[in-house]
Amino acid sequence: MSDLNNKTQGITIGLTPCPSCGKLSVHSDIHCNRCGKALVMRDYSSLQKSWALLITAAILLFPANLYPITMLVNRGQIRHDTIFTGIVHLVESDMFPIAIILFTASILVPLLKIVGLTAYLLAISFRLPISKQKLMVGFHIIEWIGRWSMLDLFVISITAALVNMGQLLDAKPAPAATAFALVILLTQLAAKVLDTRLLWDRLESKDDAN
Amino acid sequence: MEQECADNSVVLCRSCDLVISKRALPSGVRALCPRCHTTLYDTPYCSINGMLALCLTALLFLLPANVLPVLELHFLGSVRTTTIIEGAMAVSNQGYWIVGIAVLVSAVIAPALLILSVLFQILIIKYRLNSPFFRDILKRLLSYQGLLAQLSMLEIFMISILVSVFQLSDFADIFLGMGTFCFAMLFLVTLFLQREYNLEHMWGVLDE
Ligand SMILES: [Zn+2]
Ligand SMILES: [Zn+2]
Repeated sequence: MSDLNNKTQGITIGLTPCPSCGKLSVHSDIHCNRCGKALVMRDYSSLQKSWALLITAAILLFPANLYPITMLVNRGQIRHDTIFTGIVHLVESDMFPIAIILFTASILVPLLKIVGLTAYLLAISFRLPISKQKLMVGFHIIEWIGRWSMLDLFVISITAALVNMGQLLDAKPAPAATAFALVILLTQLAAKVLDTRLLWDRLESKDDAN
Repeated sequence: MEQECADNSVVLCRSCDLVISKRALPSGVRALCPRCHTTLYDTPYCSINGMLALCLTALLFLLPANVLPVLELHFLGSVRTTTIIEGAMAVSNQGYWIVGIAVLVSAVIAPALLILSVLFQILIIKYRLNSPFFRDILKRLLSYQGLLAQLSMLEIFMISILVSVFQLSDFADIFLGMGTFCFAMLFLVTLFLQREYNLEHMWGVLDE
């Protein structure tokens, strides 16, 4: 064990963890002997998959924010709200805490997720000298906070089911809801499929310990 | 070297593949990867009986939380109620079935499957059902555990209920009922269950 320094990776000493159950196996094994899952040293194709999902999500971010996400009929008058105008409306009616929660969950988090993942993938693909530790911390935050974007969709579903009094008062979802749901799904998948070990392999050669 | 390391003396960080020699931890402490701060392992802390009690409590609240209305709205003399499933149906009926499915999966199906899955795992371990049939079931349940935990979003739905209450109370009277209470309990009990649960430890049972 003496040749373990603080940079030795599993790949150099011939070990790999099972992607499903985490049990360590030697490279020559094809399947994990505990759960039977196929072992992969490094999933190089995950980089392409992650890029594809991320780019699709980034494109869908536009309709998700530009089209209305809710429609409200109030005494015969129809009002369409995008994510942003909905939040502005909340601020105008003095509901600041709710406005802040929804702004974070619906605008800030999706945007940070896409920017953060782009930085991560660029660092792998083009070997950019961005601090690996910062990227990884950012990645953990993205993984943890990303699901909170679902908040807006839950609120829309509750509101749509409760507020349905015909011409008098009626709340309905609008086209951006589907686009927004897909943005969440695709960004979560982009983070999930990525083999994060690729970052640490590639930059190791550039001799930056961070 | 390979033989030496394939035992339990080292762990590999699943985020960056760093080799770290394993050390004993005081209870309640997590070991983090020194290089990328990913959680490596924590002390096995799950008591089977405690989890069984939490599972059964969660099951108790599961049905009323999904069948009873989570919110009730009074507006100009008319009353509207909704369950989580009706909310999902309401958006689906408008043509937004992707949103409907997302709501249904993350607030109803995944949490229910998660609780049932943990219950079966615990029963298999508690009653030492060692036949290949049960071991195979345990393996399958464990390999879907991570996915179910990610899909289950009770905590987010809980906050959504509160956000809706504040938003709607602007122009209507909102009432919280038995369903809201059951959902809140389901959320709390599942939260404690997931804290107690340790996937790595459960996989370890298969090695014994
Ligand atoms: Zn395995
Ligand atoms: Zn690491």
